[in-house]
Amino acid sequence: MASTSVVSNPAPTSTDRSRDSKRKKKKKLQKEYLQSHFKWKSQAQQQIYSSKLHQALARVNLASTSVPRRGKAVREAADRVLAATAKGKTRWSRAILANRRLKLKFSKQHKRQRVAQPALTRSKKPRVSVLRLKGKKNLPAVQRKLRFLARLVPGCRKEPVPVILEEAIDYIPALEMQVRAMAALLNLLSGSGAAASDSSSGAGTSSAPPS
Amino acid sequence: MLHCLNSNASGSEMTVLERQRATIKWQHNNNHHQGYSSSSSPSPSSSSSISLVQVQSSSPACLAAGAWPKLDNNFLMGFTSSPSSGFPLPPPPPPTTSAASFDLNSAISRTSSCPLPSLAEGKETTTPNNKRKTDKFHNTKVVASDNDNKDKRVKVAAPNDSATVGKKGTQDCGDNSNKDNSKVSEVQNQKPDYIHVRARRGQATDSHSLAERVRREKISERMKFLQDLVPGCNKITGKAGMLDEIINYVQSLQRQVEFLSMKLAAVNPRLDFNMDDLFTREVFPACAASFPAIEMSPNMANPASYLHFNSSQQIDAGINPQDISLRRTISAPVSAPETFLDSSCFTQTLPSSTWEGDFQNLYSVAFDQARAASFPSQLFTGLLEPSNLKMEMEM
Repeated sequence: MASTSVVSNPAPTSTDRSRDSKRKKKKKLQKEYLQSHFKWKSQAQQQIYSSKLHQALARVNLASTSVPRRGKAVREAADRVLAATAKGKTRWSRAILANRRLKLKFSKQHKRQRVAQPALTRSKKPRVSVLRLKGKKNLPAVQRKLRFLARLVPGCRKEPVPVILEEAIDYIPALEMQVRAMAALLNLLSGSGAAASDSSSGAGTSSAPPS
Repeated sequence: MLHCLNSNASGSEMTVLERQRATIKWQHNNNHHQGYSSSSSPSPSSSSSISLVQVQSSSPACLAAGAWPKLDNNFLMGFTSSPSSGFPLPPPPPPTTSAASFDLNSAISRTSSCPLPSLAEGKETTTPNNKRKTDKFHNTKVVASDNDNKDKRVKVAAPNDSATVGKKGTQDCGDNSNKDNSKVSEVQNQKPDYIHVRARRGQATDSHSLAERVRREKISERMKFLQDLVPGCNKITGKAGMLDEIINYVQSLQRQVEFLSMKLAAVNPRLDFNMDDLFTREVFPACAASFPAIEMSPNMANPASYLHFNSSQQIDAGINPQDISLRRTISAPVSAPETFLDSSCFTQTLPSSTWEGDFQNLYSVAFDQARAASFPSQLFTGLLEPSNLKMEMEM
């Protein structure tokens, strides 16, 4: 192996130029992705999210919803807060926020409203279902998986491939942060709740607000 | 010419040494060094990665055989040691620039460094080399039709190995024929099931292939980044496998969120309870547990500092633990009609006087959030910096 290293020494000089310029371009793009990654990883972001989530949870009307729907309401609130924390810079965040408004309207009004809204948020490319185009023939596996991933990430169904990947790059750290924040919140609530439940039952009567 | 190394791994090891000797000699003869683009283009149909090394090894042989008679002996020696089924000497190569020699040397040296027996590693180690080498020869003037055919052939059938071989083959040809090019937009696609497209200057398909290559470069770059993001994706090469992992990961994350939200929903009714004790007991320790970092510690050491909501920096950290506990109390009456009753409840349930000022401020903000219709304005005498909070929370 020593001999090979000796031989390869002069080679890097010729490749350096092209490599460096290529690397610079890549570094710029990588930096953008890294920024989004670190943004979601920061503790500050998590705290912002937790506080907003708690607000949203407080606003969730618990009395009106039944038990199974409550979980869904919480989930939707969590997703909404996550999208709000993202400040709407990414497609998935905008899609979540738009969808929620749509769903609220949809429950009261017709489908027309629902169809109208997505046109604004989606791309202008012709929207043809890729699967239908090729019939029963199996798409290349990669394409299929990309479409599946697009379904998972909200708001990316009809987007081209690089957009899907870009959205995924931002969505995954956001999800991770959401999980972390919710787990911490749960820990906090359940931990304090469990401890307080013993004491509050006794002290609750004494501290009841006089009307 | 590929078959010479096909069957004998040990033989090729010897030829590695021969090749290295030849490369050293080449460096003296740069100007005469001609690229064998078409002649040395390997057939990508072979599905083993032995062909990877074969490609590289064949090129020096071709070069040596064509250009320097004095090197012939070395190479013939090297290659005759391996049982070859006849080594057809290629025709003399077309004239190209001299810088290709360096490239070829580097190519050969690098490929020779990867041991044949460990084919997988060889493939791995050469792939970074591939990336470096392809920078240089994007616009080779030597256009062989069989290159096109080869490209298309590999495009159709996309098993990993053959695509990789195709990559190396075209790259080798490029090495032979081209100078160090400053055009950097093309990067060899790391994904083995896609074939990399070389841009050829002066070709009608240039713009298309260039655009295609740029597009693929974007995609591959993002895939690489995703590979770093998703744990456990490092071992997997190939778009399909990585996409599988990514999909699994996203699904698992979403399931976790679902699960946690169910649990939160279960815990939520407890918010209705009187959280009086929680303030005194749970707020600070619990907050310490969940938000250990940042400005929490100085604030916690000095609870009086919470009173100062003028500084917006503290708001972020200071508000959060308080929010969590305070919102609990808020949520209970908020669900009820939001009227004076709520505020009166709050003021009465406040345990200590030191908190009251803060709580009022917080409540003001919170109720603004909740859009309480009627609120006693006299409670909000000291609305220090609600706008910051509001902006932040309204986001």
